Amino acid sequence: MPELRKDPVIGRWVIISTERALRPDQFSSQVKDEKEDLFCPFCEGKEENTPPEVYAIRPRNPTRNGPGWDLRVVPSISPFLRIEGDLDRRGNGLYDVMNGVGAHEIVVETNQHIANMADLSEEQITKVLNCYSDRITDLGKDTRFKYVLVFKNYGKGAGGGGIKHTRSQLIATPVNPKRVKEELTGARLYYDYHERCVFCDLIKQELVQKERVILELDGFVAVSPFAARFPFETWILPKRHCSDYTCMDAESVRNLSRVLKTVLLKLKKGLNDPDYNYIIHTAPFRRQKAGYWKTIDYDYHWHIEIMPRLTKVAGFEWGTGFYICPLPPEETAKFLREVQV
Amino acid sequence: MAELRRDPVVGRWVIVDTDHPNKPEDFEYEQNIPSGGLCPFCYGNEFMTPPEISCFRDPGTAANTPGWQVRVVANKFPALQIEGKLDRRGLGIYDMSNGIGAHEVLIESPYHNKDIPELLVQEIESYLMMCGVRCADLKKDKRFKYIMIFRNYGAPAGASLEHPHTQLIALPMAPKNALEEIRGARGYYNYRERCIFCDIIRQEITDKVRIVLENKYFISFCPFVSRFPFEIMIMPKKHSGYFCHISGDEVSALAQILKETLTKLKKVFVNLSYNYIIHSAPINGESDVEYYHWHMEIMPKLTQVAGFEWGTGFYLDQTSPELAAQYLKAVKD
Repeated sequence: MPELRKDPVIGRWVIISTERALRPDQFSSQVKDEKEDLFCPFCEGKEENTPPEVYAIRPRNPTRNGPGWDLRVVPSISPFLRIEGDLDRRGNGLYDVMNGVGAHEIVVETNQHIANMADLSEEQITKVLNCYSDRITDLGKDTRFKYVLVFKNYGKGAGGGGIKHTRSQLIATPVNPKRVKEELTGARLYYDYHERCVFCDLIKQELVQKERVILELDGFVAVSPFAARFPFETWILPKRHCSDYTCMDAESVRNLSRVLKTVLLKLKKGLNDPDYNYIIHTAPFRRQKAGYWKTIDYDYHWHIEIMPRLTKVAGFEWGTGFYICPLPPEETAKFLREVQV
Repeated sequence: MAELRRDPVVGRWVIVDTDHPNKPEDFEYEQNIPSGGLCPFCYGNEFMTPPEISCFRDPGTAANTPGWQVRVVANKFPALQIEGKLDRRGLGIYDMSNGIGAHEVLIESPYHNKDIPELLVQEIESYLMMCGVRCADLKKDKRFKYIMIFRNYGAPAGASLEHPHTQLIALPMAPKNALEEIRGARGYYNYRERCIFCDIIRQEITDKVRIVLENKYFISFCPFVSRFPFEIMIMPKKHSGYFCHISGDEVSALAQILKETLTKLKKVFVNLSYNYIIHSAPINGESDVEYYHWHMEIMPKLTQVAGFEWGTGFYLDQTSPELAAQYLKAVKD
């Protein structure tokens, strides 16, 4: 019998299908397009092909936009949103409109032409994770922005484009996005009722039940969520309660780097290098004004969602917001636990 | 400067790229190329599917044999199962239920290679009528709270079989998106005592710029807040919460506007894959229908949804709906 499971935070129902169940190894990603890039604008020495950098780690050459860097952040060449201008909120009949003000930055994670973040060193991933914090903090100084989303699209199937040079993106938005609001609202409702953080409770339950835990290491836990939308969806959560990604100390960042690398390597090895997205879910900027609630630091808990792109999202999912996951998360967790990296 | 637009019903923000809009030829989409092979939905292969649940067929022909025009069968690999009692329960902090529901496949015509634009209007009418018949029937089962009709056309849009078909899923709870629409529509209704969808239709007819087609009973338009480029909405002008309450005249008008709309879309984008879904009010006591208005949403598969959209629920539309409507309108029959 298939099972319907509800996400405890945002209340989304998911069908965990048993009828069409495949074995975990049947999900393995298809043959990759092995064609090498002819030209990569993100490699060392090609700096003039990107907009001028807004951030860089340059141990070997302090000259901006020259070679000698370990990591670079540049504005997107085709930004979703633009940094200049006022929001100018207005109406158009019954519709609401505002200007597309925001920031859109690309984090070039290494000067080497490496495709998958899983293949970076722990030390390099640590730099990337620190850079996220620095950029979020810096963008937060601009009071027009309410939220910064950090995400990664790896591979063509995940919207990552054709250039095989690992990078992530940051987008600062002038409104709190809908998905973020839903999660915050869900977490607050739970807190109002229980006076506990729903994510802390989730972690406790997962560590007792164990069957969905992929990895528990150095203060972090990686799980296949109970109501997973996609096969092999994976969440990484810090065990210690904290609403804000940028509040991590140096040691936690190093630990997260190890955990993230391990999980990404397990996915790469176990599923034949699948395309994937990951997203950092963190609290919005907390400024004293309308729409801000004071309990956010207690009721929200930052985490990372990793979504391998192994199945197609079709009409049913778009229409209902109901997902059909063809594999129970207990099985994917077991499979990933057993992948040796 | 790009524009941020907010959906008046569910409150979702969408980024509309007005600076460097994508023209149709700018989209690099996966083409839908049929590969053929044995098809369980073609004449003569009826034995390959579960037995038919409902069918329009020539008089004198037996069930599960050729001679049908529209055929409905249970999905061979159902996401949900029809037998059993609904058993909702908790598991620590989690909620769950057994997977009760219905999952049916509606084979629209015997023709393996005919999408809706290639069918006759009468054939599309029969197909739409059958959708209504199945909805009305499933609605009688009090365990079900929502009936979802959706169609995945082409492998890139998630169709696992080539022969065009539509799916129906009856769910034991109203899904999140439906509840959001209901909540938004109810909020508006409480405030203005008008249906928000009726107001949208009025504004679209006045603004004109986003309308693709219009007939006596329906309009087809690119919504002001489109999540996907070239997204199209078909809405009945007459206020009605349920698709299955559609009248005979409306079925003909819908068949015609659906055929013409998809014809235009497929002329702009060769070998296009797309999804459409019918949004209808929840059933069996979940809502009043005064403020809800059924409609059809067509989503061409032109772009990839990536990390940003998953993370934020924010969408980026590279072609403004005004421009998309202009391209679609310009298509000559």
